[in-house]
Amino acid sequence: MKKPISLKINGTERHAEVEPRTTLLEMIRDQFNLTGAKLGCDIQVCGACTLLLDGKPVSACSVLAVDVDGREVLTIEGLGQNNALHPVQEAFMEFGALQCGYCTSGFILTAKALLDEIPQPTDEQIRDYLAGNFCRCGCYQEIMQAIRNVAKIS
Amino acid sequence: MRNFDYLEPVTVAEACALLKQYAGEAKVFAGGSHLTILMKQGLYQPKALVNIKKISELKGIKYDAKEGLCIGALVTHREIETSALVREKFPVLSDAEREVANIRVRNMGTVGGNLASGEPLTDLSQIFIALDGKAKISGPNRERIIPVEELFIDFYTTSLAEDEILTQVVVPPLPARSSIEYIRFSSSSVVDKPSAGVAVRLTLDSSGNAIQTARIVLGCVGATPVRARQAEASLAGKGLTPQLAEETGSAASQECNPTSDLRGSEHYKRAIVRTLVKRAAMTAYKRATSA
Repeated sequence: MKKPISLKINGTERHAEVEPRTTLLEMIRDQFNLTGAKLGCDIQVCGACTLLLDGKPVSACSVLAVDVDGREVLTIEGLGQNNALHPVQEAFMEFGALQCGYCTSGFILTAKALLDEIPQPTDEQIRDYLAGNFCRCGCYQEIMQAIRNVAKIS
Repeated sequence: MRNFDYLEPVTVAEACALLKQYAGEAKVFAGGSHLTILMKQGLYQPKALVNIKKISELKGIKYDAKEGLCIGALVTHREIETSALVREKFPVLSDAEREVANIRVRNMGTVGGNLASGEPLTDLSQIFIALDGKAKISGPNRERIIPVEELFIDFYTTSLAEDEILTQVVVPPLPARSSIEYIRFSSSSVVDKPSAGVAVRLTLDSSGNAIQTARIVLGCVGATPVRARQAEASLAGKGLTPQLAEETGSAASQECNPTSDLRGSEHYKRAIVRTLVKRAAMTAYKRATSA
């Protein structure tokens, strides 16, 4: 039995019909074609599927779509404005904070949530907040530099 | 994942009635961080999920001078971590939460779900037990309050009946001349589940030197959190010396039942428990005597 839901995706009111077992990640990727968030570990460990739900990072692989009825989701596609990249995206490019890119949307959204909450984080705060996002290419130093840089400029 | 009926009651009574109706075939769904994983893996295949997120009385943290810290079942790990009230009254909880899983799980996962899942590899239960925490439970037409300790029966098995909901955890004010220390040990990545987590709470007698009561609770090293009762008893009436702390750690390490797994062998975990109990007891004692 499908259930109708309404939610805000990247600032726009959207509607969907979903089975209770559909995950937020499946709905975002398959029904809305927003494929920036990736399926990785499927057990909330790796961070590749990170989306911001009401401004907070969650593992979209383990959130039920029916449970986001009436709430607000931000994906990597909604981060920049007017064809301009978000400062965190710019910094990731400038410092080469990615190789394959699979983890990148998760890292950038988590970094955005961190900077919204703590605009001038210490290195320890950055490490704590991002400890649950894995980059198997090993760009951690560049990711740290990129986030530090955005914090310094803002 | 198998499909299921999805229900969203707005009161506890309604939720309990739904659980009763499904007679054990429904699961209570709070944050969902634990349940969705087990459902995707096919380990749970409930006929219905009873999502309790719309029940507003299950939300929020408050402090009552008599009753203590009241934590609603829907309070998330992250709310505990960042709450100024919790930081003021029970900083041990704020500090422990910083190390729980990762930011996404802490945003989603709830205190109620954490306890009601019966997951043994976790942190909060042993701290609550060391603090003499109580669990408030509601069922159709009844309410009961039990020590948190009595919630846990076996791996993933609690004393909650199939039509009951854990509604609140109450942590009574720390008695005078008391201190608690919690230390968790994680084998690899900082965000891994703990290999062992040890909570020690000491309350001194009126002399301010001798231990009146001790709680030593060992987590992740058995099917449920374990009270090291012999080790606790061995401390009564004594001041804590490094040698006594060492002996207490050794005694406690024999009172648990760790499983050999990727987080360490049984032998290794017992050695960790020994060291953590010693360290936590020393720290708690030092803090209690200097307060």
